[in-house]
Amino acid sequence: MYPDRKTIRRRRAVLAAFVLASVALLTVWFGEPMGGVLHTIQRGAQEILSPIQTGASRALKPVRDTVAWTGDTIRAKGENKRLRDEVGHLRRDLATAQTTGRDAEQLAGFAAIARRETFPSGTEPVTARLIARSPTVWWSSVQINKGSGDGIRIDQPVITGDGLAGKVTSTTPGTATVRLITDERSSVSAQVMPEGADGIVRPKVGNPNDLLLDYVEKGSKIKQGQTVVTSGFSASRGLESIFPRGIPVGRVKKVDRSELDIYQTLHIQPFAELKRMDFVQVLTAARSGARAEVTSP
Amino acid sequence: MIASRKAALRVGLLVLAAVLLQVSVVAQINILGGSADLIPLVVAAIALYGGSVAGAAAGFATGILLDLALGMSLGGSSLVLTGVGYGVGRFAELRDVSHGLLPIALAAAASAGYDLAYGAITFMLDLEAAVSALVFRDILVGMLLNAVLALPFFAFVRRVLRAVLRADHVARRRRGRPREAGPIGLRGLEV
Repeated sequence: MYPDRKTIRRRRAVLAAFVLASVALLTVWFGEPMGGVLHTIQRGAQEILSPIQTGASRALKPVRDTVAWTGDTIRAKGENKRLRDEVGHLRRDLATAQTTGRDAEQLAGFAAIARRETFPSGTEPVTARLIARSPTVWWSSVQINKGSGDGIRIDQPVITGDGLAGKVTSTTPGTATVRLITDERSSVSAQVMPEGADGIVRPKVGNPNDLLLDYVEKGSKIKQGQTVVTSGFSASRGLESIFPRGIPVGRVKKVDRSELDIYQTLHIQPFAELKRMDFVQVLTAARSGARAEVTSP
Repeated sequence: MIASRKAALRVGLLVLAAVLLQVSVVAQINILGGSADLIPLVVAAIALYGGSVAGAAAGFATGILLDLALGMSLGGSSLVLTGVGYGVGRFAELRDVSHGLLPIALAAAASAGYDLAYGAITFMLDLEAAVSALVFRDILVGMLLNAVLALPFFAFVRRVLRAVLRADHVARRRRGRPREAGPIGLRGLEV
């Protein structure tokens, strides 16, 4: 069944009227100033509709949130993967930056310790990196990446940027083994500053943060916090000490005075962080005219 | 559609609800980088069930309301939506619209037509900025989302308008063809 002419005309007339009205509105809207009639009507309509929109927005917020949650979940999956990758990158960057900072801090420590007045002169420090560490709980020895080819010899003292670390016990052309001051066989002649009370630094096995300074005369009045440095004397057989005088060892943290003992025993907190060190310096014998300086390992 | 106050009221409420829902809720839900648009959907649905005149009127009213609510160029949306409503209405008057999945295609076509035509008008009237090719992605996403919403939305509009429709031609055509019968004397016989 086809519509009659009247229906067709009416339909076309309606379409034409709406189109013309729209075009007229557009023309007037663009032609008039902001304070024109249509703009004013538009502002009025917005004022009327805005509370309704606000109410609808608030009322339907749970619906919006529920639907948005679905989209967020889908998006979150992709974002999660991207963020995981980013976190991995940042962790690597952070580790690199921290390692670099730590290395710089330790190397700066060598320069600082070399400037101390008490630091032994006549030595030529060779900076080396730790390449192996004793896996036992005794913290007895480490291996470094410099050896006899770099002038390192057995019994030469080894320091960190903070203080004494140990001595060289064996060498190869490219590596050396360092026995730490916490090794059970270690003994270092030392004295408490400024009194100059002498004693022997011995490890307390199993606790790398507690060294014992034995054989200190009872008459010496030692206080907590005093500094202990190497004395430059040998601990055995009356031979010359392998540790030159003036290398900082640690700080007195406790004094044991037993009535029965002739000597008093001091507990020392070592300056060197033996668990955390990455670089050490071997104090080799200085060549004539050579100066102590820090070089990168 | 029967031209009556009741029909106008129902269409008006549908249009008002769709505009408010669109600007307050749906436009703020971002899915796949775009959002659904109930505006062409409601115009297309009214046009499908009410015909071209009702579609054009609904399109004009929706456009005016939208432009007023959002402060857009007054007349721009109404011009485009008048065309969308009239076009969908004429399609419904001329073609068989009984297929159950037709709303999906109509929704996609109406969305794409509305977005492209409105973009063209904006471009001609007052657009001065550069246009990114991503606008086509947004149009595509909107089209897809509207296609997903089409079936329930059209069913809802049809339910609201059923009481004021002159004849529900969609339902009528869905009933299928009547069985052919022979001459009266032969009815009931397996001939």
